[in-house]
Amino acid sequence: MISAPLISVRRVSKRYPGVLALADISLEIVPGELLAIVGENGAGKSTLMKILSGVITDYEGEIALRGQAVRFATTRDAENSGISIIHQELNLVDQLSASANIFLGRELRTAWGFLDQDAMDRRAAELLGQLECHIHPGELVRRLRVGDQQLIEIAKALSLQTEILIMDEPTSALTESEVARLFRVIERLRARGVTVLYISHKMDEVFRLADRIAVLRDGRLVDTLNRRETDARKVTHLMVGRELEETDVSSPRTPGDVVLAVEHLRLPWPGHARGWRLADVSFSLRQGEILGIAGLMGAGRTELLESLFGASADAPSGRILLDGREVMFRHPAEAMRAGVALVTEDRKRLGLFAEMTVGQNITLCTLDQSLRAGLLSRRRENEQAESIVSQLAIKAAGVDAPVTCLSGGNQQKAIIGRWLLTRPKVLLLDDPTRGVDVGAKAELYRLMDQLCRQGLGIIVTSSELPELLTLCDRILVLCEGRQTGEFSRQEATEQRIMEAATMRRVSSPSGIA
Amino acid sequence: MTPSLGSDSKGCLRRLAHLHSTELGLLVAIVVVVGFTAVFSDAYRGKPLQNAQEILRQTSLLGVFALGAAIVIISGGIDLSSGSVIAFSGSVCASIMLALAPVDDAGNPMTQDLGAGVFALAIAGTLFTGFLIGTLHAWLITAVGLPPFVATLASLVGLRSLARVFVQEVTASLTPTGKTTQIYIYDETFSKLGTTWWIPLCIFLVLSFLASILMSRTVVGRHLYAMGGNEAAAQLSGIRTDHLKWLAYSLGAITASIAGILYTAEVGTAYPQVQGLGYELNAIAAAVVGGCSLQGGVGLISGTMLGVLFLRVVIDSVAKIIKFGSADDYEGIIVGFLVVLAVAFNELRQARRGSGKQFFPGALGAMAIGILSLLSGVLTTIMVGKQAGVTVFAVLIALGLITLLRRRFSPRRIASPASRLP
Repeated sequence: MISAPLISVRRVSKRYPGVLALADISLEIVPGELLAIVGENGAGKSTLMKILSGVITDYEGEIALRGQAVRFATTRDAENSGISIIHQELNLVDQLSASANIFLGRELRTAWGFLDQDAMDRRAAELLGQLECHIHPGELVRRLRVGDQQLIEIAKALSLQTEILIMDEPTSALTESEVARLFRVIERLRARGVTVLYISHKMDEVFRLADRIAVLRDGRLVDTLNRRETDARKVTHLMVGRELEETDVSSPRTPGDVVLAVEHLRLPWPGHARGWRLADVSFSLRQGEILGIAGLMGAGRTELLESLFGASADAPSGRILLDGREVMFRHPAEAMRAGVALVTEDRKRLGLFAEMTVGQNITLCTLDQSLRAGLLSRRRENEQAESIVSQLAIKAAGVDAPVTCLSGGNQQKAIIGRWLLTRPKVLLLDDPTRGVDVGAKAELYRLMDQLCRQGLGIIVTSSELPELLTLCDRILVLCEGRQTGEFSRQEATEQRIMEAATMRRVSSPSGIA
Repeated sequence: MTPSLGSDSKGCLRRLAHLHSTELGLLVAIVVVVGFTAVFSDAYRGKPLQNAQEILRQTSLLGVFALGAAIVIISGGIDLSSGSVIAFSGSVCASIMLALAPVDDAGNPMTQDLGAGVFALAIAGTLFTGFLIGTLHAWLITAVGLPPFVATLASLVGLRSLARVFVQEVTASLTPTGKTTQIYIYDETFSKLGTTWWIPLCIFLVLSFLASILMSRTVVGRHLYAMGGNEAAAQLSGIRTDHLKWLAYSLGAITASIAGILYTAEVGTAYPQVQGLGYELNAIAAAVVGGCSLQGGVGLISGTMLGVLFLRVVIDSVAKIIKFGSADDYEGIIVGFLVVLAVAFNELRQARRGSGKQFFPGALGAMAIGILSLLSGVLTTIMVGKQAGVTVFAVLIALGLITLLRRRFSPRRIASPASRLP
């Protein structure tokens, strides 16, 4: 703490029309430290980082780098001053190779002024090697896994001689082994003296990595804590501004009849060496039961839900029985009519209609119920939407507010509400708490539990195991499209599920339990 | 959470008010342009009624297929074919009339006095042709997977050519005089369809009303907005996007067919070589000026109606004020200018939220100032005939000054020299 600050943030505020995103933040960052910046969604973490990295250029207050006031006009300015940012949504050009991405905008050239591909590839391979990333520098970025793509961004930062690296929720799309590799990379960077600003809301990561923890809430800096002098409970308390009660949704539920049975479901994958996205998946779901689907990225979780919903690109084979009747949906419209609902994983891209209001987003699937004389009745539509807003406790200025004004958790509730209006028998939730803050997560858990007790059959996937362990009556594990385990609530542990999820091949699909 | 939610809702309300700002802005602009023209041109003061009727007639002709263009754009697509669809359906309409017209002793079809039955058949046939064209577009886009731009571009090029061949074949086989490039229809009732000012106006208003009901009060309309805003999400919400596209492109082509009938009636001739040439861009421009976003999902029928009216009012105003040349020649310049202006105006409104955006940055900006000055100089020379040099000079000075002022007051970059790493 004695060394002079590397970056001083002095009374920085950022105002958007109608919203104060950052209010009078003052913060000092010491050279070589790892400062974790935590806060719920909308707390202002990303805004502050965008100011530091030159993405946002108009703000009040002052940033000083090594005591000298700076104001970056572009990200290039920030990079030249040694500050790089790795955004949550990676900033890579899919159609270019790894090395081309690393040197994008600073391409190495030969004496003739042409691109020096060899030199770039060599240098890229060297950088990637330092990061335990063993891919070919000529590989196109779109063919790479998210974890490797992220390392390309880090390699780019390294090639820029970055002194200050900002990482915005870097682990949100990574598998456990990739997370472990990322943490090793971070350690290595720190050994070189790189200062890291690490944005996250995952307490275990923060407490594993950070020297200090800065907590933001509603655009204000609530406190900066020394990691050794605090604990996760206190930080969470500061983040949400209230004690977070343990969500208890474990009180026994009593499942009813089988509502969905899947037998030998197989989904082909034309043009891929493996040949299948799903191979021989069989399970059943009862009314009033929550079935979890666990698996690493690419295990086929999303594909499984999509093929149950008639939304898969290729037609699946096998048998799907809904209420005892065999069904095979070719379009989501058929699935919807039969009583199956899917809340998609990628809310922004596949769920939300950003140009529409909260109400319009909620009623979209059930507009038929709001008709009067064949025309939409605004009053009935509003009633429909308001019933959902109050039932799910969606925090919105009104059903006429633009849906983009809602927080991530409330947007998710609105989409779940859209599907509840269709009165489904089976609700498929694909990673419903992704990008949702801590407080809202607990609310979503309670909502699922409540819906389940009303007799709905729910299938939920998640990239966070503790979440599945909290929620589910049974957990099905997928690995590379194969069913590698099925555990009841009593049997399921993180250890067992991870073993099944990383298993290459098993003789009998349910043989591990 | 609470304070930001409160201020959020205020922002939301403001956005709701913004929803109709395009229409309000257009209304004001129309009034200003009309007033301006009335001051500078005797025509508006001398014959106000006649001028108003003519503007409304022209507005309606363009408006009919601009409605279709707007629906396609809102649904997230684009229809480039309407100009050629106008030519093609005009030819189809005239051909049916020619084929059904009574023949005189020499074998000449007599199109002076066609019966109601002939009209009904010709119009129904033409509209059905429009439906077929739209269906073809929808098939190319949904089943074959062509981008809408490509599918309708193919029609834009192909249909006009087809219409020209078609007219020659029809005239060769139906008239004793042989192959010609156009078909004349002498019926006066038919001609009134395009020339009597209130008939196109009524058609336009009725179609606008229907389109407005469709887009704002029906399930299908809401689904069109949803598809335009987020097609993948719409499909995953159980919306049959393929059917919606079929509908949207059919409406685009059918409204163009209606316009084709009206334009043919207006001049009493189907002349595919020139009829409707380039009109597709006028329709798209009207929709964009009226607030439709080319990204899809945004736009209103009322805005489109005002967009069309604004476009026609400005075109007419320039025609009244200029002293040299034919007004038609200026149409493209005006449309191009207005589209840029309308979209730039929207950009400007967003830029005010303080990204410190510059309109004339660096070398590109300097060049742009030069080009704009040159352009205005040339236009002034042609339209006014003199003072061009003065105008160029004035505009150059003005824009240069604005740029300088903006640069002075925009946040300056201060990169500390010590921050550079070895």
